[in-house]
Amino acid sequence: MARFKHNARRNKKWGSAKPPVLKKQPPSVDHVTGSKIPKSFVFARGKLPGPLKQLELDLRKMMLPYTALKLKEKKRNTLKDFLNVAGPMGVTHFLILSNPKSVPHLRVARTPQGPTLTFEIHEYALAADIARSQSRPRCPQDLFKNSPLIVLSGFGAGGQHLKHLELMTIMFQNIFPTIDINTVKLASCQRIVLLNYNSEEKLIDFRHYSVRLQPVGVSRRIRKLVQNHQVPDLRNLQDVSDFVTKAGYGSESEPDEEAATVSLASDLDRVNRASTKSAVRLQEIGPRMSLRLVKIEEGLCSGGVIFTEFGKGDGEANTAEGEED
Amino acid sequence: MQADPNPMKRKRKPIKSKNPKKKKTTTKPSGAMAAVAEAKRRKPSKRMLKLFKKRAQNYHSDSDDDDEEEVVEEGRRGEATPSDGNDEDGSADSERGGGSEGDDEGDGEGGHRGGITRFDEGCRAFRVAFSKIMKRKLPNDALGPMLSAHKKLVVEKLVEEEAEHKAKGEAKKEKILQALEKGHVKLANFLDAKEKSLIKIATKGVVRLFNEVSKAQISQRGLNPSRTKVAKELAKQRKRTFSPELKKSSTQGHGDHLPFNSSKLSNSVEKENDDELGWAPLRDSYMLTSSKLKDWDKMPDPAASVGQDVFPMESSSSDEE
Repeated sequence: MARFKHNARRNKKWGSAKPPVLKKQPPSVDHVTGSKIPKSFVFARGKLPGPLKQLELDLRKMMLPYTALKLKEKKRNTLKDFLNVAGPMGVTHFLILSNPKSVPHLRVARTPQGPTLTFEIHEYALAADIARSQSRPRCPQDLFKNSPLIVLSGFGAGGQHLKHLELMTIMFQNIFPTIDINTVKLASCQRIVLLNYNSEEKLIDFRHYSVRLQPVGVSRRIRKLVQNHQVPDLRNLQDVSDFVTKAGYGSESEPDEEAATVSLASDLDRVNRASTKSAVRLQEIGPRMSLRLVKIEEGLCSGGVIFTEFGKGDGEANTAEGEED
Repeated sequence: MQADPNPMKRKRKPIKSKNPKKKKTTTKPSGAMAAVAEAKRRKPSKRMLKLFKKRAQNYHSDSDDDDEEEVVEEGRRGEATPSDGNDEDGSADSERGGGSEGDDEGDGEGGHRGGITRFDEGCRAFRVAFSKIMKRKLPNDALGPMLSAHKKLVVEKLVEEEAEHKAKGEAKKEKILQALEKGHVKLANFLDAKEKSLIKIATKGVVRLFNEVSKAQISQRGLNPSRTKVAKELAKQRKRTFSPELKKSSTQGHGDHLPFNSSKLSNSVEKENDDELGWAPLRDSYMLTSSKLKDWDKMPDPAASVGQDVFPMESSSSDEE
């Protein structure tokens, strides 16, 4: 009995053993579609001036959650170092910023030996600039929990089937993980990346939006009341019915209702309910860029040049090797 | 008992430590100071005053060095030379001044000479000072070598130079900043026409996606509660026909103005074909076209086209059974 007590005391003193905490690994294979989730590294080569460093951080944020947000790179790291790390971690794409001759460039490459697209950044604006220029910048907390959806436009314009456009399309589609329509939750589609190709200027506009759904058919006041839980000011009104039925004026930013209306599949939140009409409102977050394609290389920043904008050719792509991802 | 001697010592020590400098500094000038003090105290006698007046009249700066030296030596005996210039100009002079203390003043000639030597000492002092200036290398200053307002002018010039440097530095900084900010556009107008059109395009894409999703999911919801096995079959079929669908829709997508995740669309298109048939029990041909029950009216020729449709129905009907 004494022994029992002794043991009991020992256990109490030492406390119970905690179960080992398993760190949740980010998934490498999408459990729904069965395809590999693409992961990316965003880093810089060479010294970048201040705003470009900010741009790098913005790009990293945009690629969340399947990227290394706090990737630390040192001056002496070469491309090979990144490749070596990328293998075991399952990283499939590199986004490389550089600033040769004071012209910022962005290279999008697929590891380990995929093609490299080199873009010249014609203009850019930082996320901070955009937030500053908006009257109501919006950034909910779990905005970056899910990967963004990509919308490509203008790449097949004019019926031209230019190889470099095709390659760009495929590359950008594969950077972001695919979604399965049948099982995706609408609440998880919160960000949109738009790439619009302008064939006259050969510039690609890059924009990053956040999605907001607003119920349609509800007057503005009631909607605000429900969303903000603020008691309205009823001083000048005789009756509550005045408040409810008063026609409000439409603001300039009210969307084109017809084009933007969707019928929701499920309840999103208290306000947007299933099978009711809601309007899709986009608000810009994140960096804004205008890119011009300069070069496509076969290898990872090496190899034969498949396409070059300013080269000896007339800007047309040579017969591509069909670099499918 | 022990405390007494110690504090005494302590008292002395810090005093000692504090004052060595003072004592050292005071040793040297003490002689000169004492001499000066003494010299001041004993006013030159009336005789000496007359002598001084004479010498002042006869003063000639071009007198020989020898005379000066002789005179100087005698004068040293005479009196201290308290001239202020001596103390400043050279340590030699001050030493001499210090050394001449305590000499008798009664020596007339010496006194006489002493008066002259005062001036000679003064001359000597002037000579020494002048030679020093001549030795000193002049800075090639635009302001001139020895102006009384030299310091002020130097300060002004420095201020000018600093201002110039500042201006240049700022110009350089601006240039560098411009190079850095190349391409960085500060947004003036946020929502202009181009941005609005881009937002519209993106909105269209999103709307399309959401509509597809809603179609797929709502119909799926109708199917799913009772038809889990049907869903599995559908999934199998989807995978099988995935690749041909992808090829078909990818070419379709390029002709389309808005190719949007074409693989997803192919999925939905595929599914829709299936869904259009609706819920299995609601189909007219439910349980009628199973392999077991042969429908003698229908010929087996169109079996190839109906094959795809028949297959899931067969499995579902077999499930039902």
